[in-house]
Formats: sequence, structure tokens, C-alpha cells
Amino acid sequence: MAFEIPKQIYSGAIKPVTIGKGPKAITLGGETSYPFYVFEGAMPHAPRIAMEVWDVDPGEDWADPAKEPFKDVLGDPVAWAKKCVNEYGADAIALILVSTDPNGMNASPEAAAATAKKVAEAVDVPLIVYGTSNQEKDGEVLPAVAEACQGMQIIMGPVQDKNYKKIGAAALGYNHTVVANTPIDVNLAKQLNILLGQLGVKDSQILVDPTTGGLGYGMEYSYSVMERDRMAALTQEDEKLQLPILNYVGQEVWKVKECKQTDAEAPQLGDQKTRGILMEAVTAVSLLLAGSDLLILRHPDAVILVKGIIKELAS
Amino acid sequence: MSQKFYRIGENLNVVTKIYGQAMKDRDPKPLQKVAEEEAAKGVDFIDVNIGPARKGGEELMTWIVQIIQEVVPNIPLALDTSNIAAMEAGLKVHKGRALINSIMARPERMDGMMPLVKKYDADMIGLLWGPEGMPRDEHERGMLTAEILAKAAEYDIENERIWFDPIIAPLNIQQTQLISAMDYMAMLQDMAPGSKSTCGLSNSSNGVPEHLRPIINRAYVIMLQRNGMVSAIVDAFDDELWDVVDGKKPEAVKVVHDIMDGKSINIAALPKDLQNYAKTARVILGQVLFSDSWLEI
Repeated sequence: MAFEIPKQIYSGAIKPVTIGKGPKAITLGGETSYPFYVFEGAMPHAPRIAMEVWDVDPGEDWADPAKEPFKDVLGDPVAWAKKCVNEYGADAIALILVSTDPNGMNASPEAAAATAKKVAEAVDVPLIVYGTSNQEKDGEVLPAVAEACQGMQIIMGPVQDKNYKKIGAAALGYNHTVVANTPIDVNLAKQLNILLGQLGVKDSQILVDPTTGGLGYGMEYSYSVMERDRMAALTQEDEKLQLPILNYVGQEVWKVKECKQTDAEAPQLGDQKTRGILMEAVTAVSLLLAGSDLLILRHPDAVILVKGIIKELAS
Repeated sequence: MSQKFYRIGENLNVVTKIYGQAMKDRDPKPLQKVAEEEAAKGVDFIDVNIGPARKGGEELMTWIVQIIQEVVPNIPLALDTSNIAAMEAGLKVHKGRALINSIMARPERMDGMMPLVKKYDADMIGLLWGPEGMPRDEHERGMLTAEILAKAAEYDIENERIWFDPIIAPLNIQQTQLISAMDYMAMLQDMAPGSKSTCGLSNSSNGVPEHLRPIINRAYVIMLQRNGMVSAIVDAFDDELWDVVDGKKPEAVKVVHDIMDGKSINIAALPKDLQNYAKTARVILGQVLFSDSWLEI
């Protein structure tokens, strides 16, 4: 008898979720096998890359190599977003409303919503709008964003256990998608998806953000939880986990010491720019292998690297 | 159900505000009241948990054993403290055969406490908590069991006096540990013939919303009992739990057993209360991932 390669049997599939509108809308998910196991199932929609845009000039918060490609647009989120789309080929934009941080500038929901609307109008790719993970403030900001961006089918997050009702209701009211975020725990991730479902948010309007750890700073925890999530979704028919996954990689990677130290401060770590880009790309690729469908990345060179790998693996 | 299932009432505990205060104030009333209520429910032991009791533990345990036995003379107590002197003080005044709760599988704890077993004609809970803490799987549980048996032999303690506690972890964070405790139970009589067993059953539902805890305790005890568990430290006032272990809810037991056996069951067709048993069993077995809303989906 000829040898047959054993195959994993899959009983479930990831549900497709379409984000954005018009010709640049993208569909995520749809996998019927583990990530890139195209010899066992289908991966009809390859993972996509959103590029990170802040609504303020990041200043000292960003390492120089991360700012350099955007030096002419920092502080102008509309121009920044356009540059990501037109020059760097971003599949989507992730606008981070850093200005609304109550421990920082504490900008009003109205002001943040106006910025989000301008960016949404300026680009034709899907727009992800992220708050600052302050549950109370995000619960005020994101509903205002939802209203201002009515009809634009944006993606809002992070939606967490204490503000899911407010943001979920706004998403329902104005027909947007939400990103359900829980702290690196598969049981909690499942629970939040259930709660959103009970609120009336359809599966076709939910992405999952399992919380991302950067390379050397907990990436393996995110990896394990995503792995478990995909196993439950694909082999245990766990409907509440059969949703595409989003990872916010850029900030988690670039905020760490190893990316921020200059060549002069840490000569033993090698060229700072190469170092940061590789840490970002390695984190991104690892998370793709664990099941990510949409990555928020920061540096254009990391985007090129990761896109190349996706192309090789998915085809 | 041929094998009797022993219940150790867990309610008299220093961490409960009212009983903790009563212990501190040496006010016998609330303590005697809950002991009488547990007795009325028919518990086989009353657990008396005074905590670590670093200061004044001996006097406290002496007092509490006496005031409890004054009102419920016919039910033995499970003396629950990590303070060895307090344990001995309680055993000294206890009438009948007390249960020492508990002796860990660590050399210094075994050498400190095992001499009390024969000296006071007591039984002991052998807690499978080793020098490195909680065992990671059923094999480490087996190793710790061997440690306890070896030490017990040195102190001339028969298997029949030892109640092995595999240690129950919470379902919502360590589901695989629940399976491991079950697998261990299936091996116990081969390792320690004639020994008894018990567990802190409520720990399986720790961290779950309060009103949802009983169904986890009940479904899990069915599984443990099937694998040979003969007792549990339980909420004395969970009547349905009693029915379950006494064979008065055979339909619930059957559903859980069927799921353990991998039989295909049309859960939606079951009455609501049996659906809850079925769904909980599936979650415990890891067939479905736990979430706080597991009964609703």
C-alpha cells in the first residue's frame, strides 16, 4: 500500500468578514485549514496589512527609523494616511486616536471623530479606528466616531468587556465592524464574542484582537492563544471563535528598548533601522503562522518583507 | 450506587466573614448554628477551617472543636489548618475519629504531621502538593502518591486511613488539570489499594459567576465519582449535589457518562436541566472551550 500523508480533518471554517466599501473593500478569513496549510484546505483570502497612522505627531514616542519614512506628514493624519496608501501600498489604514488618551492630551470625542471622518474621506481603503484602550474614554470616543463616519463602514476597536455595549450599539446603529479585544486568554475572547452576539452584532461584523505581544515581550503568549483559538475554531467547530484575527503589531514592537536604542546607545545590537524592521517583520510573520488575518504594521520596509512572505506562503 | 459517597461540609471557614469574626471573638453561636445546619443536611464530616492560625492557633482549635462537638457530638470533624501545633491541640480534645485536613506530600509536612495519625487514631487527607507545588499532570500526582505511601509506611499508617486529594484546579483557567485529576483517580486503587479519596470540589468552579458555580461542581463530581472518588469537600447546602452523588438524579448521571464515553447526544432535545449537565460535561472534557456563557450557547 502506498504511503499516504496523514491529513488533519477540519470540521469548521473561519467566517469571512468584509471590511470597508467600494472597490478597495477587503475580505478577511474564510480559511478551512490551519494558517497557510493550503495542502489541507483553502485560504481564499490571504492575510492583509494595515498601516499605522497616529492622529498626533508621535515625537519622542517613536524611534527615528520609524518616523523617517513619514517625516513630511507626521502631525497630519490625512496626508499620512494618503502616503501609506499611495506610496507604501497599505491595504487598510489604522488610525490610532492617541490624542484622546485621558492621561495625555485628553482630546474630546468630537475632535477625534472629526479627524477620523477626514481620514475616512481621504482614503479609499478600509479604515480601522483605534482608541487608547482606556475603556471609559473609548466608550465615549468610538460611538462619536461611529456617528461621524456613518455610511463609511469603518472598523472600530478595541472593544472590551466594560465598553462593548456602548461601542457595539454604535456599530450596530451605524453599520460598522468592531474589533473585540481581550487580554491574551482564549476563554475570555470567546466570552466577549458571545456577549457581542447577544447584543445583536453579527459575526460578519466582528474581528478578534487577542492582544499582541512583541518579539521578546510576550509574543509567544499571543502565539499560543491564537493557536488554541484556531484549533477550537477549525477542529472543534467553536462557532464563537470562527472569526478573523487582527494584531496590532507596530506599537508593540517599536515601543521596546531594543527598537528605541540608537546605534550609539547600543552598538552591540547592530544597525537600529534594520533591527527595528526585522523585529517588526519577525513578529508579524510569527503571528501570521498562528492565524492572523490582518496586521497593523508601522514601517514600510517591514510591510514589504511581510507582504513578500504572505505571497510565497499563500500561493 | 453501591459505594457510599462521603460529604465533608466546607461551610465553616475562617474566610467567611461572619465565621471568621466569630472565631476571633470566641462567639460560639454562629459556629454552632452552621454546624447544626450542616448536620441537619446529613454531612459525614464537618470541616473546621481556622486557616493558618499562626497566633493562638492551639487555643482556638481546642475551643472550636469543643463547642462544635458540644452541639453535634456524632459527626466527626475535619480539622483544617496548616498549623501543626493547632492540629494536635484539636486532635487531643476531639471525640471520635477526626480527619486531618491535610498533610502535603512534602517531607517536612509529612514528618511533622504523620505521627499524629496513629497517636490520636485519626484519618488523614494526603494532599498531592509536593515540594515543587501543584503537580502538572496525573503522572506527577502518581509520584506524589508514592511519596505519601512511603512515608505513611514509616509511620505505620494503613492505606484505609489516607484520603488522597488530587487537587482540583479551576475549570476556567486550567481545564486540562480537571482531566488529569480524573485520570489520576482511575489509577489510584492500583497504586494504593483500599485508600480513600476526597477533593475540594468547589475549586473547580472558582472564578466563575456565583450562580453558575453549582452546575460545574455537580457535573464534575459525577465524573470523579465514576472514576472512584469516594468523597468531596462540598457546599453542605447544595441539595442537588447531594441528589447527584446519592444516585437520585440518574438521568443527569447518565448524560454525563454518555458524554464521557463519546456517545453522540442531541443536546438540544434534552430538558433544560439536563442540557446544562451535558454542556458542562463537554466543557470540562475540553470538547468545547469554556466561556462564562457556556450554558447559553
